[in-house]
Amino acid sequence: MFQTKAITKLAAPIASRTYASVASASNGIKVASVADASESPMASISLVINAGSRFETAENSGVAHYLKAFGFRNTQSRTSFRTVREAELNGASLTAEATRENIIYTVECFKDAIPYFADVLGDIATATKYTEHEFRDIAKLVAFESLSARSSPATRLVEGYAEAALTAGRVAIVGTGIDSAALAAIVSESKLAAIPASSASTLSTPASKFNGGVQQIYDSASPVSHYALAFEGASDAATTRVLANLLSGERRLKWNTGVSPLAKLAAEEGFGLQSFQSSYSDASLVGVVVSAPNAKIQEAVEKSQIASPSAETVQRAVAAAKVDVSEALATRAGKRDALAQAAFGRTAVAVESAASAAAKTFKSKPVGAAVGLSQATPYVDTLGF
Amino acid sequence: MEAIGRAVQTNSAFRAIVRPLANTWVNLSGYRRLGLRYDDLIAEESPIAQEAISRLSRQEIDGRNIRHRHAFQLSLAHQEYPRAKWTKAEDDYAYLRPLIEEVRLEFAERDAFNSMTTVKK
Repeated sequence: MFQTKAITKLAAPIASRTYASVASASNGIKVASVADASESPMASISLVINAGSRFETAENSGVAHYLKAFGFRNTQSRTSFRTVREAELNGASLTAEATRENIIYTVECFKDAIPYFADVLGDIATATKYTEHEFRDIAKLVAFESLSARSSPATRLVEGYAEAALTAGRVAIVGTGIDSAALAAIVSESKLAAIPASSASTLSTPASKFNGGVQQIYDSASPVSHYALAFEGASDAATTRVLANLLSGERRLKWNTGVSPLAKLAAEEGFGLQSFQSSYSDASLVGVVVSAPNAKIQEAVEKSQIASPSAETVQRAVAAAKVDVSEALATRAGKRDALAQAAFGRTAVAVESAASAAAKTFKSKPVGAAVGLSQATPYVDTLGF
Repeated sequence: MEAIGRAVQTNSAFRAIVRPLANTWVNLSGYRRLGLRYDDLIAEESPIAQEAISRLSRQEIDGRNIRHRHAFQLSLAHQEYPRAKWTKAEDDYAYLRPLIEEVRLEFAERDAFNSMTTVKK
């Protein structure tokens, strides 16, 4: 029913884009979805819980990872075996993912199976058993996935965290390939509508704080040293991406040396320069990894700093950032991230001017991490920040 | 027969009469005199029972092992515990049977999925 509706809607010329429109299900869960521009038979539905690792406390560190691993396990109404076999029969794929902000359970399936999988996700949210024997299984998996999960939280802890996390305000349903009003209707009829509006226990939400620091790892065997410098990024994701592009030493065209200052440096001197960035709801990090022969690492790090970029350089970085964002939005995972942000009401805040953001960020005190011959790698406080 | 069973469970007066008799009856069967629980007697030589036992918590499995050891020792020596050390009725709860039932259903489900035929719509 919804399928035909969605398709007829697509057949008509799209007058207003329904991109990232946010609807509400019957119990107040936010539902954000975007219908495909093509008539693809595929769709996806995700249960996004705003309870990633940043909401953990000292007592329950690692618990978000465990909760992620409890996805698609035994529930009151179906066993984990049944969930997996029925997903196979439907040709669906099930994934669970934990990030710093969110825990995300995703089902990618055919459009007509969406109501069934909305129920499966509803079961995860409201009826998971959190049994002890599964916990032992999961603990092995988590220990394998993350060396940092050295603490041994018990199932009770996971259950308590789940109770606090799985409330309507912290949960969003995100879909692709299906119109958000249609998805909201499905969600209201499924078990997802049974997610409680609030719970006795709540999660603390400490504000993110940037703590600088230095890390040196000694490796005398390697002829090459690596040095990572990271700054506290701009307050919005878009500007942070521009800053990362300013720091990038990558060439976007084949057979040339690149035009950005750091790309030129990389091509002329043979340094490896790779920028990175990560943005969260209230913090971001932007930086560059410099790789060079041991004898030249100090010079490479000192040269790979941008104090005040020219207007043209900034313009190029902005264009490159636009391409990066558009490319990310073309994938299902990219759409999912953007929709989850929209569902939790985090749309772009006032964008700083890229040039002033660069001036501010690249003069702030960075974090430094070095791997290699530590006699040769510079200390952060000698770099003149 | 079922009607009688239901009457025993629902009628409190009937229960008050039957409950002490039931306890005496179970005590006569002897396993409580060796400190065992009823679920310790369930044959464990089957895949279902093995899986169910592997799902017990550490505390339950340790208790089960120590009860088996003590009972075995008493049986070798042709002895019983003194009355004070018999298993109490409230300790003789079903700690394994619900797990066995759960695993049995899971095995049946697995068989059903493995032998099913799909029909094209």
